[in-house]
Amino acid sequence: MSPEVRWGTLDAEFTAWLRERSDEQLKALVTARPELVTPVPAHVDGLAARMSTPSAVGRALDRLDRFALAVAETLSVQAEPVPCDALRALLLPALPRPATAPAAAAGTGAETPDELVETAQGLDPALGAALERLRMLGLIYGPDRALTPAPGVTEALDPPAGLGPPAAEVFRHHPTEALEALAADIATETTPSEAVEPADPAEARSPRARVAGLLGDPVVVERLLDHVSAQARAALDELAWGPPSGRLPNARREVSIAAAQSPIEQLLARGLLGATGEESVVLPREVAMVLRGGRLHRDLSPTPPPLDGIQRDRSLVDRTAAGQAFTFVRTVEELCERWSVDPPGVLRAGGLAVRDLKRAAQLLDLPDWEAALVIEVAHAAGLIASSGSVDGEWLPTAAYDAWRVKSTEDRWAVLTSTWLTMDRAPGLVGERDDRDRLLNALHPDLRRSAAHEVRGRTLAVLAAADPGVAPAVESVLARLAWDQPRRRGPFRDRLAELTLREAEHVGVTGLGALSVHGRALLRATGPAEALRPLLPKPVDHVLLQADLTAVAPGPLTSELGRWLALAADVESKGGATVYRFGDASIRRALDAGQAADELIAMLERHSATPVPQPLRYLVSDVARRHGRIRVGTASAYIRCDDPAVLDELTADRRAVALRLRRLAPTVLASKTSRATLVDSLRAMGYAPVAESLDGDVLVTRADARRTEGPALARVQGGGGPEPEVAAAAVRAIRAGDDAHRAVRGPAETPAGQIPRSPATATILALQEAIRQGARVWIGYLDSQGHATSRILEPARMEGGYLTAYDETRAAIHRFALHRITGVADVN
Amino acid sequence: MNDGPLIVQSDKTLLLEVEHERAGACRKAIAPFAELERAPEHVHTYRVTPLALWNARAAGHDAEQVIDALISFSRYPVPHALLVDVAETMARYGRLRLEKHPMHGLVLTSTDRAVLEEVLRAKKIQPLLGERFDPDSVAVHPSERGNVKQQLLKLGWPAEDLAGYVDGEAHPIALAEHDWTLRPYQKDAADSFWHGGSGVVVLPCGAGKTIVGAAAMAHAQATTLILVTNTVSAHQWKQELLKRTTLTEAEIGEYTGSKKEIRPVTIATYQVMTTRRQGVYRHLELFDARDWGLVVYDEVHLLPAPIFRMTADLQARRRLGLTATLVREDGREGDVFSLIGPKRYDAPWKEMETQGWIAPADCVEVRVTLTDEERLAYAMSDSEERYRFCSTTPSKTRVTEALVRRHLGEQVLVIGQYIDQLDELADHLNAPVIKGETRIKERERLFQAFRDKEIQVLVVSKVANFSIDLPEAAVAIQVSGTFGSRQEEAQRLGRILRPKADGGGARFYSVVSRDTVDQEFAAHRQRFLAEQGYAYNIVDADDVMRGA
Repeated sequence: MSPEVRWGTLDAEFTAWLRERSDEQLKALVTARPELVTPVPAHVDGLAARMSTPSAVGRALDRLDRFALAVAETLSVQAEPVPCDALRALLLPALPRPATAPAAAAGTGAETPDELVETAQGLDPALGAALERLRMLGLIYGPDRALTPAPGVTEALDPPAGLGPPAAEVFRHHPTEALEALAADIATETTPSEAVEPADPAEARSPRARVAGLLGDPVVVERLLDHVSAQARAALDELAWGPPSGRLPNARREVSIAAAQSPIEQLLARGLLGATGEESVVLPREVAMVLRGGRLHRDLSPTPPPLDGIQRDRSLVDRTAAGQAFTFVRTVEELCERWSVDPPGVLRAGGLAVRDLKRAAQLLDLPDWEAALVIEVAHAAGLIASSGSVDGEWLPTAAYDAWRVKSTEDRWAVLTSTWLTMDRAPGLVGERDDRDRLLNALHPDLRRSAAHEVRGRTLAVLAAADPGVAPAVESVLARLAWDQPRRRGPFRDRLAELTLREAEHVGVTGLGALSVHGRALLRATGPAEALRPLLPKPVDHVLLQADLTAVAPGPLTSELGRWLALAADVESKGGATVYRFGDASIRRALDAGQAADELIAMLERHSATPVPQPLRYLVSDVARRHGRIRVGTASAYIRCDDPAVLDELTADRRAVALRLRRLAPTVLASKTSRATLVDSLRAMGYAPVAESLDGDVLVTRADARRTEGPALARVQGGGGPEPEVAAAAVRAIRAGDDAHRAVRGPAETPAGQIPRSPATATILALQEAIRQGARVWIGYLDSQGHATSRILEPARMEGGYLTAYDETRAAIHRFALHRITGVADVN
Repeated sequence: MNDGPLIVQSDKTLLLEVEHERAGACRKAIAPFAELERAPEHVHTYRVTPLALWNARAAGHDAEQVIDALISFSRYPVPHALLVDVAETMARYGRLRLEKHPMHGLVLTSTDRAVLEEVLRAKKIQPLLGERFDPDSVAVHPSERGNVKQQLLKLGWPAEDLAGYVDGEAHPIALAEHDWTLRPYQKDAADSFWHGGSGVVVLPCGAGKTIVGAAAMAHAQATTLILVTNTVSAHQWKQELLKRTTLTEAEIGEYTGSKKEIRPVTIATYQVMTTRRQGVYRHLELFDARDWGLVVYDEVHLLPAPIFRMTADLQARRRLGLTATLVREDGREGDVFSLIGPKRYDAPWKEMETQGWIAPADCVEVRVTLTDEERLAYAMSDSEERYRFCSTTPSKTRVTEALVRRHLGEQVLVIGQYIDQLDELADHLNAPVIKGETRIKERERLFQAFRDKEIQVLVVSKVANFSIDLPEAAVAIQVSGTFGSRQEEAQRLGRILRPKADGGGARFYSVVSRDTVDQEFAAHRQRFLAEQGYAYNIVDADDVMRGA
């Protein structure tokens, strides 16, 4: 039968099978393969067709673990549907032998029954689960007695498990004469012990079919193998487990068994290798299967590899991670505070200059990569943004101000949930991309579509380890490779390693093991609450010392912290903070309006120990000198040797607008300009003379600046659609299917008054309908403004739109919520 | 939450809360790998430096122990980066080793060829090394042992020196403990020096460093070269050795400006050693004059640069550095460590005070308000002259007189920088003055008279900063100093820290002109002592005058 015929039949069978699936099963299907319902297919036929497309099958296969994939591959190489028992028998040889078995047994494929029993342990439950999963994903179908790969699966898996093409395919383009000779050679070499091949229809078949037929017999291949030299055998073994092709010059040479010289010629002459091009050869699938001892995989494990690593003390893990979480939050704050007053510029191509990254790293006392992580996370969390595209600067946003006043644990939760889902790879900062361009922090090119998925997967692996175990990197990578063998590669491994490194820095892991709050973050079960008890409690006192330092033995309450930051300079940061008082810092506090006795009182109130005499003295000594010289701003002044004139002037009501101020008996200062002053005085009847002025002093203060840059859109986590959406999608498909099959026309537009209800009630009613999967009757203003009446099965509501199956139009539509005039029950 | 006494900061400082019940145990645990940086009254600051970590490795501690000590005493989680850094830093030690090779003499070998390659490519190291006779070893000229070590340390690949020391010419020396005994900390200091081979012992002034030197000599049982700051000090060393050890007059030589004796134990001054005639250090041969088994450097913080260079050649001999204040305003502390050896013993001043080994001291800063004329003159003076002007004002003289009057009947030292100021003070106080031009004989006579309480007030210049042993001095008044020198301040306080016969305390006054550079320098000078826990009380001169 031709493949086309088979394909058509299978397609129909598969669709029928799919239609028989229960709603629950379909719901599980669309939940696991959300791409099938974006957009929702109109009916089951559409669903089946979409499931069979190469990209959809590929994505589904990508989600399989190594064992399930091996099961799918095993099924895909079988010509006919396979019963479950046969499948089991096919898989069994591929399982790793128990350590006690002699290595020699591996070559022959023959085990004693005892060993088989031992090997098979763990196979049956794993096989059952794998089949269940494959069926659920719609990658195989049919009952247990006839398991069949779904349409498109065999094609997507080709070549399966590193096998080459079948012999019929390998020799397709070889000249007939050469194949005649090859078939004859093979037959001659393998028949002596056997009866002469009966002159049955085989004679009548094409030479290509004869070669394929001969190689299809494992006995024949074994015999051919017996005749080749050891080197030739070694060359074959190289190719046996894939990749199945090799390169050699003049692959198409004509050789016979008798004339074969080199090992390669021995193989070519026996059809154990076939030329596929001038310089390439391939190992036919049949030969490979013999070399593999009849199994498709080697060392196939039905269970995931164990996560090996150091067992850490769990409370130590949590405390270390909490300490790091605290540090990370503080680092982000420190960065934003600095950038508030001293923002770096946005590069013309976007991103942050290397020099600015280095400055930030220096400020934060971190290596460059950690600084890049801090900056990237702060940016992804919307705490910093570019102030504009031309001559822009990286500035904290208004969201930063909101974030800053939250508690440490809440701030951490915001940062880490951003980190978890952001689609950027901060670990690549400083490296060069494919086009040899430097990757800058905050640059748009730092997006990596795989980043958040790998991050989530890697952390899931950590979560799968026993609590307190810090799995080794190799162990994590091996587990990732087992979990999704089709989604591996050096780059993904790299991202996984970066994830482990970053997880430690943001405080999700401690000493390499997942912390309790990290676990809560992954499960989205109140990470902040989990972290809170682990954080050091804020202290409301400091230890004052005679060397003019103050040590805060923990995080300070915010009021005291702000006050100390004003009155003293920070000398050392960490779990505690060391402050130093000096002339400049005390002066700063006095400048900010604190009085000397207030300062002393504050120190006394918050010091756990007596205030040292030198500190008291320092405060009073600086205060003594503070403000002795006064500086102000005046635009102009009036000088007059006769104070009486100035008395008169200040008393004059017309001079009020001049805002005169007496600085000394003979000097007045004014806030108006010199020209205005002169003019006004003249108008009042005086005869002033303008004096030249050297200029005035302007006091400027660098102000904290903010930008309203847009926060980046979050990437949705990889969890698939929410249950309501999946359920609604299934309902929509079913309904569409009914309509499709019954060729049912659109439902009747309900008669009666078009429903009207208040907007809030409408939304509530729709939400309720989504939850319950109920049908509703709505009034809707269409795009022309006509009031229409619809019967809907609402599926999803987001962004001001309702997605629903419209029975009256027999299609899925999106409805603008503001155009829905009202909702009513259908009945 | 762990309630430990230690807080580990991300800048690698460790804060130790001293009132905590586990503070003592914690101090013991972290002392091997962290330098005590500040020791004020409540919270002591230690710093984890690469040098300290390597010294800890040299002393047999491994990274696991260090990390364990940090984690078990820390109140908060220890920053992960710090732990990684500790492990990495400690792993750098010992990749390179200096060894004795039967064929090639002194060799540098490596367990990590990549490191050796890196080191061999360094420009400053290349010229110091000889032939590379196998892939992992390269010959080193014996005279470059010190330089190689110094340069490797700068590269961050400290070499483990396994080449050992020469024993030197044997000479019997024993402590003569008939009417005194070695104090426990002196014994500890001498022992830990001896086990380490070479190094620096840091003890406060007045804690008996000479005796530590004598104890080290008793360990060495070999000819010893002692380098001291000046002749008076050389005499004191000689007297002390005669008193404390079995050595006799005939065994101790003096190598000073006036005498040039070379005996089994020879005491030389830095000054003589660094005297040049026609561009040649003429007395350098003293280092080679005998096969010295031990070289002692007194007041090692003052080690002059030529001695540094000479010391680099002496790496095969045991070296002991003694000091109270290992702070150098030129920042060469690192050279002291790499050439003399790591710090082998360190005791905080306040701890010694609590145990009664040094006298408790009160430090008082007396702020003198300048008169209006003085202020005007100060404002107009040249910037080079400003410090001199404000630190020698007549107002200071008046306050000093008042202070001396207040302590009538006690032994008072008045210490200053400027000779004319000292002369004027001596005149006012009717007291003798010792300055640079005073002859050695006269100096010793005056010091002896002061010790015997024949003289109650003595005015001294900076010649008395170091090594002068004046047990009964109870009050020191500092009127001026060498700008912001921290160690000078500490050394001057040290003059009055010998425990008093009556068990009383000492009092140190620093007279400072308010609102001038004098005040700024004073603040800097006081930092070392403040960090050792000496809290300066500040009083106004007017109060002193009224009180007197």
